[in-house]
Amino acid sequence: MKKIKASLLIVAICAVVVTFFSQGTLAYYSTVGTATNVVTSGKIKLVIHETTGDDTPFPQEGIYIIPGQIVSKRVNIENACDHPFYLRVKLVNGINSQELSAQDCFNINLNNNAWTLQDDGFIYYNKVLNPGEKTPYVFTEVEIVGEKVNTDYIGKALTLTVNAYAVQQENNPAEHPWLAVGWPTEEVA
Amino acid sequence: MKRFLTVFLVAVLVVSFSLTAVAEGGSVTYNGQSKNFVFAPGSQYSLTDLFPNFKDVMPGDSITQEITVRNTQNVKVKIYMRSLGAQNGSQEFLSQLNLKVQKSQDNLMPYMFDAAADQTADLTNWVCLGTLYSGGEVNLNVILNVPTTLKNDYKDLIGYIDWQFMVEELPTEPGDPQAPQTNDNSLIGLWLALIVGSATLTITTLILKHKRKII
Repeated sequence: MKKIKASLLIVAICAVVVTFFSQGTLAYYSTVGTATNVVTSGKIKLVIHETTGDDTPFPQEGIYIIPGQIVSKRVNIENACDHPFYLRVKLVNGINSQELSAQDCFNINLNNNAWTLQDDGFIYYNKVLNPGEKTPYVFTEVEIVGEKVNTDYIGKALTLTVNAYAVQQENNPAEHPWLAVGWPTEEVA
Repeated sequence: MKRFLTVFLVAVLVVSFSLTAVAEGGSVTYNGQSKNFVFAPGSQYSLTDLFPNFKDVMPGDSITQEITVRNTQNVKVKIYMRSLGAQNGSQEFLSQLNLKVQKSQDNLMPYMFDAAADQTADLTNWVCLGTLYSGGEVNLNVILNVPTTLKNDYKDLIGYIDWQFMVEELPTEPGDPQAPQTNDNSLIGLWLALIVGSATLTITTLILKHKRKII
């Protein structure tokens, strides 16, 4: 009887050992790791600089003008992103009066060396504006047209708004900036 | 003499940095000792980011990201990968982009994955990248295509894509190959010469300085 028990014990131990090793062979180590990968999209950003003749910021509240006056107002634009872009601006005249028109109240001295006025009404920068660069001035002076701004305009607020639009130059080859595609419809700044 | 040494050491440093600043690749390294993966290089957005090249992408971009999957330990492993797709909040942006994944050794083979970047597609289930012996590696090419028609609504956005990697350790057998040569021997001589030269010059400079002080 004792012999049988001893045999059973040996067989049981052998079974346990065999089971242990067979599990060790079948159950390979496996490990899982997760990588969180990130894609980010770029953007175009520009800054419009408006200064007076002595390079101080143009007063946001505006200035008092008289007909025939020539106001020193220098406007240029800076590329404030990491991507080169094409650039165009539009000048919009305005007045706080329904009866009067601001059309032709201003006459600017457009810098034709660096900028080109096209038939669509936009003024295009002739080159690509690279990151960190500033354009030459779009204009430096604004004449208050004396023939247009008569006594009816006394006490009215006339505005000259510069809207700038940019479109990426990368993957967007164009012989001239005005032939580039993808111009935004709303102003960037 | 001192000025010459300074210039030389600075030049060595500049060369070292410029040589190491090559295009950044991603890497997945299996560490058999700690039984985990190490993902590199990571980014400010995710410590396990494998896509350093896919930042600040613009419409029309087609960018390739190389990723090396390595087994550095003295074990034999089968390695798998799968995609969990875009994280919540990233789907709309990533659905605009196309992603392709292929093993770079298999350039003539179909892509393992060719779909919108938010999808899991053919990487929904585990895909075996191969059996890697000690020191073995497999290279992946990941290509991101950004359509030129991508609208302004998608500018300045962040998209997160989760990938998982899995290894099965296999028992090594007598006939298994040893760690393969990487053939990356091109600059070893130069590096050794620069290290020895720099060390010698540094020590010489220090000794001269020390002697001058004593005098």
